Amino acid sequence: MSHPTAARIDTGAGVCFVASAVIHLAVFLLLVWWGRLLPPQIAFQETYYVDIVNLPTADPQAGTPAQKTENSDPAPPPLVPQAMTLPVPVKMSPKITVKPSKPAVPQEAAETESAFADRMEKLKRNREARREEADFEKSLGKVKGASSSKAGMPGASGVSAGSSYADFIKSRLEDALKVTSSYSSKSPEVFVRLTITAEGKLARMKIERSSGDAIFEMAVRRAVDLASEKFVAPPNRTVFENGFVFKPKGIASGSSRK
Amino acid sequence: MAIILGAGIIVKLVLLLLLSFSVVSWAIILFKFFQVQRANSESERFMDFFWKSKRFDAIAAQVDRFANSPLTVLFNEGYSELKKVVEPDSKSDGSALSTDLGGVENVSRALRRATNSEITRLEKYLTFLATTGSTSPFIGLFGTVWGIMTAFEGIGKTGSASLAVVAPGIAEALIATAIGLVAAIPAVMAYNHFQHKIRVLINEMDSFSTEFLNIVQRNIAGK
Repeated sequence: MSHPTAARIDTGAGVCFVASAVIHLAVFLLLVWWGRLLPPQIAFQETYYVDIVNLPTADPQAGTPAQKTENSDPAPPPLVPQAMTLPVPVKMSPKITVKPSKPAVPQEAAETESAFADRMEKLKRNREARREEADFEKSLGKVKGASSSKAGMPGASGVSAGSSYADFIKSRLEDALKVTSSYSSKSPEVFVRLTITAEGKLARMKIERSSGDAIFEMAVRRAVDLASEKFVAPPNRTVFENGFVFKPKGIASGSSRK
Repeated sequence: MAIILGAGIIVKLVLLLLLSFSVVSWAIILFKFFQVQRANSESERFMDFFWKSKRFDAIAAQVDRFANSPLTVLFNEGYSELKKVVEPDSKSDGSALSTDLGGVENVSRALRRATNSEITRLEKYLTFLATTGSTSPFIGLFGTVWGIMTAFEGIGKTGSASLAVVAPGIAEALIATAIGLVAAIPAVMAYNHFQHKIRVLINEMDSFSTEFLNIVQRNIAGK
């Protein structure tokens, strides 16, 4: 019996295996080459620090009058009044105020519909303007208050809506805490005293008081570590020391002594 | 590149396994492609040749030309069985058996056996494609789940859940599923394709067996 399988020319399994491996290698190299050609574009967003009340904190020296001449910093961002709360109450109030006056008016038929609308409009505008002004005053007062109490660099002579070094540090810490924040108890609180050397390095960090939430304490430690990379030298090259109260919602500057 | 190198050991193992699955399944795809292609084209040529020639022994002499066709195997098996049946055996005296229908039965059995062995040959390795197609997504998924587990563990350790911490781990993990799908999709497609092709070849073999038996029976009956 002559079996035809002897004359078969099956492509060897080994050849196919090698061919398959070569194809895979080629595809892989193609992908790598493609990756080289078009490297993934990872955009690192630069963080901007715009604190509306305590003006520019990106560079603590910027706001102080002492260094005014050597540092031409970009202009501070425009002061945005904390408005946006007006529309609802403003719309409501004219209706309430106008209604009682209506029974008194009906005899005066002289006032037409359009005139009435005009008057309403004027009233509304007046009210809005007054409110805006009040808001502006309020925020201005805030700025003034902040600057008069502790704004300006330590040792700076003038009063300006600038940043105190403590506020600068606080801003950095707050930013870092946003990333690391985690806690297990309801309202944890940690009081930390930081010492920063004249070169702007974190020299010491001491937890003086804690609500006992270990996880939050850890988060605070990490936040301080993270923030310490961005510390700059304190003004006048002095050692800076300040306490900060860490809460999940933010950080408050504690007692400061120099 | 970095995404693969940065992955954990389990994810790397999963990726390696999937890669080997892919390489082997593509080797099988190539192998089967050439095998089925040749079987098809040579079967066609063999059938042409078969219908043109008048005598079985003439065909038997030339059959090696179409060695890759499963039909030639059928023909050879049938023909050799037929020779045994028809040719007077030295031990038994008469030609009593040859004209008997039992001879046709013998040939039929030989053809059926040859058909089965050819089906086995054609379907060889196809199960691996089916296995790759059905399991490699799961293997990839396993790698992904594992990677995400470790990523979350890392998040728990650092305590921060920012996108910068979460995203790379998950991207690393997801690549396992991607590779699993890359391995599975061609395997499933090729499996279905070859199943269809082999079914066509089986039909051809069946009809050839019937034709062969018809011719044998006609000739034996005509004797």
